[in-house]
Amino acid sequence: MDFLVSSFAAALHLIGSFSPDVVEAVRTSLSVAAGATVFAALFGVPVGLAVGLSDSRWKGFAVTALNTLMAVPTVVVGLFVYGFLSRQGPLGALGLLFTPTAIVIGGTLLASPIVANYTLASVRGADPQILPTALTLGAGPFRAAATLVGEIRFGVIAAVIAGFGRVIAEVGVAMMLGGNIRGFTRTMTTAIALETSKGEFSFGMALGIVLMTVALVVNLFLSLLQRR
Amino acid sequence: MTELYRLRSVTKRYGSNVAVDIDALTIDAGRLYTLTGANGAGKSTLLGILAFLTPPTTGEIFYAGERIDWMSDIVRRRRRKVTLLHQSPYLFGGTVFRNVAYGLKARGIAGEAALRAVARALETVGLEGFRDRDARELSGGEAQRVAMARALALCPEVLLLDEPLANIDRETATLLETVIASLPSRGTTVVMTTHDPDHPARLNGESIVLEGGKIAHADL
Repeated sequence: MDFLVSSFAAALHLIGSFSPDVVEAVRTSLSVAAGATVFAALFGVPVGLAVGLSDSRWKGFAVTALNTLMAVPTVVVGLFVYGFLSRQGPLGALGLLFTPTAIVIGGTLLASPIVANYTLASVRGADPQILPTALTLGAGPFRAAATLVGEIRFGVIAAVIAGFGRVIAEVGVAMMLGGNIRGFTRTMTTAIALETSKGEFSFGMALGIVLMTVALVVNLFLSLLQRR
Repeated sequence: MTELYRLRSVTKRYGSNVAVDIDALTIDAGRLYTLTGANGAGKSTLLGILAFLTPPTTGEIFYAGERIDWMSDIVRRRRRKVTLLHQSPYLFGGTVFRNVAYGLKARGIAGEAALRAVARALETVGLEGFRDRDARELSGGEAQRVAMARALALCPEVLLLDEPLANIDRETATLLETVIASLPSRGTTVVMTTHDPDHPARLNGESIVLEGGKIAHADL
């Protein structure tokens, strides 16, 4: 028990003293997660809308595919992107492997199905009269879709936040595609995994506290939106 | 009378259920039609077709002499001439002004012209002073009147009304009935569904009775 208490105290000291390693890991985590979330939103929201509004006979298949993609393990996404970005891969010449950009790409693939699924759920839960009302008042398809997004905006924001939560908390993609390079691609989660394996438990705990705080803030915001 | 709509062999099926099955129907400009029939007779589906929101399964529709091609831009163009007011209208979040001005904005009408059109429409339905009210905080009758104002602001060629007088208080119903009855004289063709057998006579309209999706009777 003393070990946990002293580690916790040391972790708080590391956070309070703005340890450069902690700050750097937090900064990298937040920046790659934010980047991946932006791209996931740009891709996932339109996909969720398109599937939600479609009356195609392929809709059921698309929903199943999105649900399946949500359950794909992060290491599988990491493996898949690694295959493309590695030196022998089709995009190897770009030299993106073990860079923050690679983590953003992997994070985008991880978060997009979540954003799309949550958006889809919002579209399904929306009043079915929104689109016909917009159309009968003279809106074109894009204005009508924008009106729908505006009406379900809290659900869409919740979708994007859920995507952010997924990316910032994952370790597989960041480890495989970022390489855990100190001061460059080391995120909170990869740092926790590394430092704990080295016996630096208090350092891992410090980052764990920051990560939990971020998760807490994200979820508080999410539940606030869901109540509206 | 100028012919506005002409429907030929129009059907609408949902799976094996035939919602609408009309051999021929002509609707003239500047007149008021009441659509009556039991629940499930196809009234709302027919309104959806006339509003160019619901493509028929088979058949042809002509509007002002032009055949409607549902895959082309004609539908969107024609949709702007016709406005459908749903039975339980959806009001967008925001103010009454945002709602009433929505269709105007979609037509590129903004600024002073939009302000005037919104004020005129709200005055018609007796909601002067409601412009900045939150649309979501209105009573059922007020919401119905805002939806009516939203449609009237566009001065549509055709106004399709799905039971506009159901579920509202007597006072609001009387006001809306007066507004609806005055529309044909202003050049707007009205097609409204109703369960009230007195409406055709009271609104000086033509009666179309639907039964099982077919026209059972029409004063045409």
